[in-house]
Amino acid sequence: MKTRNECREWRELLGAYALGHLEGDERAGLEAHLEGCAGCREELAALAPVARMLPHADPARFELAPEPPPELGRRIASAIEDEKQRTQQRRRRRTFGGLAFGGAAAAAVAAVLLLFVLGGSSGTDAGQPVEFTDLPEGISIDATLEPHAYGTEIHMYVHGVPSGTLCRVWLRGPRGVSYPAGTFRYRWGDDSDAVLSSALDISRTRELVVDTGKRTFVAPVNPPGATAKIGQEEST
Amino acid sequence: MIQLGTSTRGALSRERDVREAYAAHSGELYGFAVRSLGDSGLAEEAVQETFVRAWRAGDRFDPKIGSLRTWLFAILRNVVIDLGRARSVRPSVAEGGIEPSVEPLDEALLAWQVEEAMRRLGEDHRRVLVETYYRGRPYAEVAEELGVPEGTVKSRVYYGLRALRVVLEEMGYED
Repeated sequence: MKTRNECREWRELLGAYALGHLEGDERAGLEAHLEGCAGCREELAALAPVARMLPHADPARFELAPEPPPELGRRIASAIEDEKQRTQQRRRRRTFGGLAFGGAAAAAVAAVLLLFVLGGSSGTDAGQPVEFTDLPEGISIDATLEPHAYGTEIHMYVHGVPSGTLCRVWLRGPRGVSYPAGTFRYRWGDDSDAVLSSALDISRTRELVVDTGKRTFVAPVNPPGATAKIGQEEST
Repeated sequence: MIQLGTSTRGALSRERDVREAYAAHSGELYGFAVRSLGDSGLAEEAVQETFVRAWRAGDRFDPKIGSLRTWLFAILRNVVIDLGRARSVRPSVAEGGIEPSVEPLDEALLAWQVEEAMRRLGEDHRRVLVETYYRGRPYAEVAEELGVPEGTVKSRVYYGLRALRVVLEEMGYED
């Protein structure tokens, strides 16, 4: 049976041992002790990963501890305030613009909207949100479609899949024909939307499909009264 | 893992939360940005962009996936990649004796973590690790220089590594 003091003496050699600095009798003695002492083996196992990390550091940088300048916090607060005001102004402009149009201008807007409803690709609409419902707990997909002369642009943000997941996206037209829209890799911490495009005109689009490798998610586009579903296409 | 008290989903959607997050994490984020970019001006730009992006996407933060600190580092990592790409078309200028990091970003992050942890160690522990490990000096020589027995240098190496592990864990490191 090992005494507490005996263990402590051997344990205090574990640092040098983990760094490969122990030699001769001390090394042999410690290794013999380790064979019979689970506690010291456990301690060594806790130190070993730290010892393996040491070569990555540059000791010349240990003394350098750069501090952010005091005004950086204020600059960030000011940048956020600017962005907030720009967002509010954009919202106000949209509301005001909607109320101020009259007469011929309103007729022109109505014509554009009519063209859009009838299926023309006006290319001027801000985007048509697509709703994915019945998604599994923890997963959400924000997507909007924008009509363009070349087809449809898709803005998409996927939340809740593992970081690094490759997402394939396509649109389905009438009779289930698929039109690829491209791929993007979801990275946690990247707040930007993925922007993809497909040759299928928005007016002919029936479904938006996202495949995350393990699961496929499908949302209806255009047809009234349709509900979104989670596809059963498991592609491992 | 370090967690802020306000680590609920959408934790950065209010300006007050951004201020709290800045107070808690700006030093580390800035230190890593300087380490990766080798330029204090670019590092300031990177930290500013990180907080603006974090505020913009505040409601997308999910503490179930990781801590606020880890999320901010993930955003900073992307910002540094973007800035690195932009900088690759023009020559970099080192300043204040800090050389730009040339290793891949994940390696730079690991290196910065160990360097930051070493800075947080007590002087006695850091000193023996620097002398014995990084400078490769014999324990007897270091002991003589410090005026302590050789056994004390060995025990300081042990307690230094233990302390380093604790600091790294506080910084969010996991095996």
